[in-house]
Amino acid sequence: MLQKKTIDELLAEWQQYPEMMERIEHQHTIDAMPAKLVPFPDKLHPSLVKALQKRGISQLYSHQRQAFDYATTGQSFTAVTPTASGKSLCYHLPVLQAVLENKTSRALYLFPTKALAQDQKSDLNELIEQSGEEVLSYTYDGDTSPGIRQKVRKAGHIVMTNPDMLHSGILPHHTKWVSLFENLQYIVLDELHTYKGVFGSHVAHVIRRLQRICRFYGSNPIFICTSATIKNPKELAETLTNTTHQLISDNGAPVGKKTFLFYNPPIIHPTFGVRRSAILEVRDLARKLYEAQIQTIIFAKSRVRVEMLVTYMKELTKKKIQDESIRGYRGGYLPSERRLIEKGLRDGTIQTVVSTNALELGVDIGQLQACIMTGYPGNIASAWQQAGRAGRRQDAALIIYVAQSTALDQYIINHPNYLLGSSPEEARIYPDNMLILMDHLKCASFELPFKTTDMYGEFEIQELLEYLQQEGVLIKTSEQWHWMSDSFPAHEISLRSASQENVVIIDQSIPANTRVIGEMDRYSALTLLHEEAIYLHQGVQFQVEKLDWEEKKAYVREVDVDYFTDANLAVELKVMSEDKQKHLGQAEAAFGDVMILATATIFKKIRFDSHDNIGSGPIHLPPEELHTSSTWLSFEQPVNWTEDDLTSAMTGVAFAMNSFIPLFIQSDRSDVHVIPQVKAVHSEKPTFFVYDRYPGGIGLSERVYDIWEPLIQHVFEHVDACPCQNGCPSCIGAQDISDKGKKQVLNFLKSFLLEELDD
Amino acid sequence: MSYENKILQMKKLLKKNNTQHVIEKEPILKPDVPNYAGIWQDAGLKMIENDFGVVFLLEKHYPLDYKHGAIYLRELYDAFEKWQHTQNSHPISLTDANNLIFYDTETTGLKGVGTHIFLNGLLEESEDGFTLKQYVLADPSNEVAFLFESKFWQGRKTIITYNGKSFDWPQLQTRWTLNKKDLPPLKEHDHLDLFHGSKRIWKNDIARMKLTQVEEEKLGFTRLDDVPGYLAPIIYLDAVKSGQPDALLKVLKHNEWDLLSLLTLYVQATNLLCEDIAEESATTYTNIGKWYADLREIDRSEELLQQVTNQYTSEEAANAYFHLGFQQKKQQNYIEARKSFQQALPYLQGRQQIIALIELAKIFEHRDKNYEFALAMTKQALKLVTESSLWTKDSKSLRLADIQKRKNRLERKK
Repeated sequence: MLQKKTIDELLAEWQQYPEMMERIEHQHTIDAMPAKLVPFPDKLHPSLVKALQKRGISQLYSHQRQAFDYATTGQSFTAVTPTASGKSLCYHLPVLQAVLENKTSRALYLFPTKALAQDQKSDLNELIEQSGEEVLSYTYDGDTSPGIRQKVRKAGHIVMTNPDMLHSGILPHHTKWVSLFENLQYIVLDELHTYKGVFGSHVAHVIRRLQRICRFYGSNPIFICTSATIKNPKELAETLTNTTHQLISDNGAPVGKKTFLFYNPPIIHPTFGVRRSAILEVRDLARKLYEAQIQTIIFAKSRVRVEMLVTYMKELTKKKIQDESIRGYRGGYLPSERRLIEKGLRDGTIQTVVSTNALELGVDIGQLQACIMTGYPGNIASAWQQAGRAGRRQDAALIIYVAQSTALDQYIINHPNYLLGSSPEEARIYPDNMLILMDHLKCASFELPFKTTDMYGEFEIQELLEYLQQEGVLIKTSEQWHWMSDSFPAHEISLRSASQENVVIIDQSIPANTRVIGEMDRYSALTLLHEEAIYLHQGVQFQVEKLDWEEKKAYVREVDVDYFTDANLAVELKVMSEDKQKHLGQAEAAFGDVMILATATIFKKIRFDSHDNIGSGPIHLPPEELHTSSTWLSFEQPVNWTEDDLTSAMTGVAFAMNSFIPLFIQSDRSDVHVIPQVKAVHSEKPTFFVYDRYPGGIGLSERVYDIWEPLIQHVFEHVDACPCQNGCPSCIGAQDISDKGKKQVLNFLKSFLLEELDD
Repeated sequence: MSYENKILQMKKLLKKNNTQHVIEKEPILKPDVPNYAGIWQDAGLKMIENDFGVVFLLEKHYPLDYKHGAIYLRELYDAFEKWQHTQNSHPISLTDANNLIFYDTETTGLKGVGTHIFLNGLLEESEDGFTLKQYVLADPSNEVAFLFESKFWQGRKTIITYNGKSFDWPQLQTRWTLNKKDLPPLKEHDHLDLFHGSKRIWKNDIARMKLTQVEEEKLGFTRLDDVPGYLAPIIYLDAVKSGQPDALLKVLKHNEWDLLSLLTLYVQATNLLCEDIAEESATTYTNIGKWYADLREIDRSEELLQQVTNQYTSEEAANAYFHLGFQQKKQQNYIEARKSFQQALPYLQGRQQIIALIELAKIFEHRDKNYEFALAMTKQALKLVTESSLWTKDSKSLRLADIQKRKNRLERKK
C-alpha cells in the first residue's frame, strides 16, 4: 500500500478519478523562477568572502546585495522575502561587516520567539566560524544562565533576544548594558509581519522605549527588517519603528514549481447546502499523501481541530509500535516537545505534521513537499505563509486548499483569484491604543525620566504624565517627571495577550506523578477548559475534572471517549461613549466605546465522525469583561416584522457579515466580532454591533464605520448568489428545518435595510 | 470606575505629532530647591548646596566609648589589633580605620533603573570617635548633588556593607551611570560584604541572616520602634509628596542602627575569627574552622576544630570531627582521620553520614586492610542511599553503582 510517488505522479493518478476531478474546482500552477545573481560588494570584508565561499556561495541574490548596500550607507530598510530565500544574509552580512570593521560596534537581533532566536544563533555561529574571526554572538532570554549574563551584556557583539525579554529584562536594566546601547549600530527585526495587532502594537512601544534609551546613550541605530509577503511591509516597519524605511521587494532567490488545488468537499445534503466535513476530507487526502510517502504539513485553524486530525491520522499507524511519523504541533505544547518535533521534521522521521498557524513562522523544519490547508486561514498573507512551507528551494510543491462550508471559504473556492491574484493583507498595528500606550508610558518613565518638554515617540504625553502623577507613580519636579513608586511596571505588562494570566493544565491521571502538560489563555479557557470539557493533547483525550478559576489551574485526567465538547459563549453589550456618528439614509452609524461581558453558558458533547449532539451541560464561570471600541448601525424597527422574525433575519445577516469583514478591512477573522440586537439597550432600536476583540480596540471597527453600505451590499449579493435553498453555513449559517430563513434575510436586506441606507 | 475605563476616558487627551523633535543641547541648570526645604530644615536636617543642587544631611557624632548593644565602638580598634597579630590571612582582615566606610542605603524599590537611592548612610572614623553622615535625596531632580556628596568619586576607600555587593553597590552604579554626563567617574573601591561572612560564621545557627536577627542573637542589640525596611520606599515617597519628614526621620534611625550594627558586627566577627573558643556554639566554631580550611589556613582550621572536639560533647562536635577527618586524611594521617570519622559517625545524618561511611570504608580497605569492616560500612552506605530521597533518580543510580562496585570488590577481597 505504501508506495513512494512524486508529486507529478500523484497528480497524474488523480486525473484518472472523475470523482476527484469533480471536487478539485480549480487548479493553478506557478512556474519555477531562476535565481537573480549579482557579484559580492567590493568592500565586503575578506573574511566574509571566505565564509561565503566555504558555503559554496560565490554570488549574492540580488535582494541580499541591495540589503548590504542600504545598510552600509546608513539607510533603514525592510526586505520582503519568501521562505528559504536566504533572508538571514540580508542582515548577517552588514552586521558582521560592521563588527569586523570596528570591534566596538554592536547589533541587537529581535525575533518574535525565543525558539527562533536560538535557531538563528546556530546559523550565525556557523557563519562566524567559517569566517575565522572572533565575533561574539549570544542569545539573551530566560534560558541564559546567570553565569554568562554579565559577559553577554559587556562583550556580546550581537545579542539575540525577543521583544518580551527586551521589554522586561533589558530596558528596565539598561544601565547594565551601557556598552551595547552606546555602540548600537543595527537593530534587526526578523519576521516583521508577526508584529501586528495587539502584539505588534505593544512591540511598537517597546521599540520607542529602546530608541529613547539609545538616544540617551548617544547611539542612533539603523533598522533592518525582514518580512514575509504582506501588503504594507514598508508602512508596518515605519509605524513599528517610527523611522523611514526603504523597501526591498524584488526577490532574487530561485522558486520551484508550485501546484495549487482548490478542493471543495462534496455536497451531501443538497437542500441545506451541507457539504461533507472538511476535516474528514483532509484526513482522506492526507492519507493518500502519506501512502505516497510525500512529507506533508496540514494546517488546521484551532487546537481542537489539530488534535482531531492527529487522532484520525494516527489510525494509519496504530498497528506499528512507537511510530512517530505523524505528529501534532501547536501552542500549548512544551518547548522541549516542540524542539523534538522540529527535529523530526528536518531529519524526515516525521512524515506528516498537523499544525496550527504556529508553524507559519520561520521555525526551521526543513523542506516539506506538500501542504494542506483545512479551510482558509483567514487572510491571504497567512495562506501564502502556509503554502510557503511546501517546496522550499527548487523542488516541486503541492498545495491543497480544502474549503469548509463557511461563507468565506466558499467565496474563495469560487473566486480563486482572490487568493492567487490579489495582494495580501495589510498588517496593522495601533500604537494609539490608550491602554497599551499607558502601559508603556509607565515603563518608559521608569526607564528614564521625561522632561516637561519631551514627547514619547510621535505622542504628546505631558497630559498623560500628569495623570500618572495623580495616580501616584510619578512626581514632577521643575523640569522632569520622575518615577516614584516601588513597583516594577514591566512585570505587570505582558506583550502577548490582554489577559495576563494563563490557565495551567495539570494531568493527574497518575496521582503520584501529576505533571503540567500545557497552558491556555483565559479567554479560550472559558470555552475549552470548563469542567467536563474534553481537552485534546497530542491526540490523547483528557477530561477536565476541576477548573480552579481563582488559581488558574485545570486538572485533567486521561479518558477514552468517542466525542468532543463545544461550548457556547453568551455576550452582553453596553455602549459607554459615542465618539462619532453619521446618518446613512434613515439609519444611523456610530463609533465609540463599548463594554462587553462574555459568559460561557452551556457545552455540548458531539460525537466524532457523525458530529451528532449527544448531550449537554451548564458551565459555571464568572464572565470575562472587555472594554473596547466598536461601530454600530441602528435603524427603525421595520413595520410588520415580528420580533422573532427580525431576530432570525438579523442573526443571519450578522453571520454573513462576520465572514466578510475580514475581506474588507483585511484583518484576521477572530479580531472583530459582530453582534445583532433587536432592541439595543442604549437606543432601543435594532442594531448591529461590530467590535474589536481586544481591550481598548486596535483600530479595526473604526474602519468598518466607513464602509457600512458596501459591506451590507456585499452581504446581500453573496447570500443572494449562494446556491443553497434555505440558507447554509456558506451564507447565513446552518438553519433549522424551516423554509423561511434565507428568504427572510434577503427580504430584510433588500426591501428594508438597503432601502433605509439608500434614502 | 475601573482602571481601564479611566484610561479610555483620557483618549481625548492624546495628541500626535509626527515631526521629529529637534534635540537641543540644554545648558546645565540647577534644579529648584524643593518647596518643603524649610520644613525639613526645621526637623533637623541640614541643607547643603553644591554645584549641582541641594542635598539634606543629618550628621551625628559618637564618642569612642559609645556602646551599641553589647559592644563599644572603640572595640573596632581592638579588632584591628587582633588582625595585626594573627598569622592567618583572611578576607575580612583589616588593620586600621584609614579610608574605611561603613555604608548602607535606603531605596525606593528593589530593582531596575526606576529605583532611586534616597538615603546614603556613611559611618566613618573621626576625631575621638565616629561620625555618621546620612545624605537624603532632596528630590529626584537633585540626584546629581546627592550622589556627588557621597564622595565615592574621590580616593580609593574600603567599603563595608551588609549584602551591599549584590544590592547597594550595583544600585549606586546604576544611579551613577544615569547621571554620568554630570558626575566625575565612580572610583573602584575595596569592598567587604559582611552578609557573606555572617553566613559563613552562623550557618545552621541563626535561622534567617537578616541584620536585625543577627543583632538580637549575637550583638546584644534590640531595636525599639523600628520602621521595617520594606516600608522605607512608601515613607520616602510620602515625604516628597507631602513635604512632611516625620516618618522619614524614623527611616534615618533605622539606617543609623543598621550602620552601628555593621560596625559591631565587624568587631564580633573578628573576635570569633581571631580568638580561641569562648561562648559561641560548637556549630559556629565548626563553621569558622571550615571557613579557614576553605581559605587553606589549615593550621588555624585544625586548631579550632580540635578545640571544638575537646570542649564540646561528642554529639555537638560531630561536625568538627567530620571536617577534621578530611584534613587529617589530606595530611595522610589516616589513623587519626579514621578516629575522627568514627567519632562523628553516630551523630551524622543524611548526606554527611553517607560520606563518612564511604570515607571509613576507603580507609579500612586501603590502609587497615580490614575488608570486613570496610564491607560493613559499604553495606550500610548502600542501604542509606537506597532509602534516601536526597538525589534525583539519575544521580542516585550513579551513586548506587559506585557503592555497589566497591561492595563487589570488597566481597572478592574478603
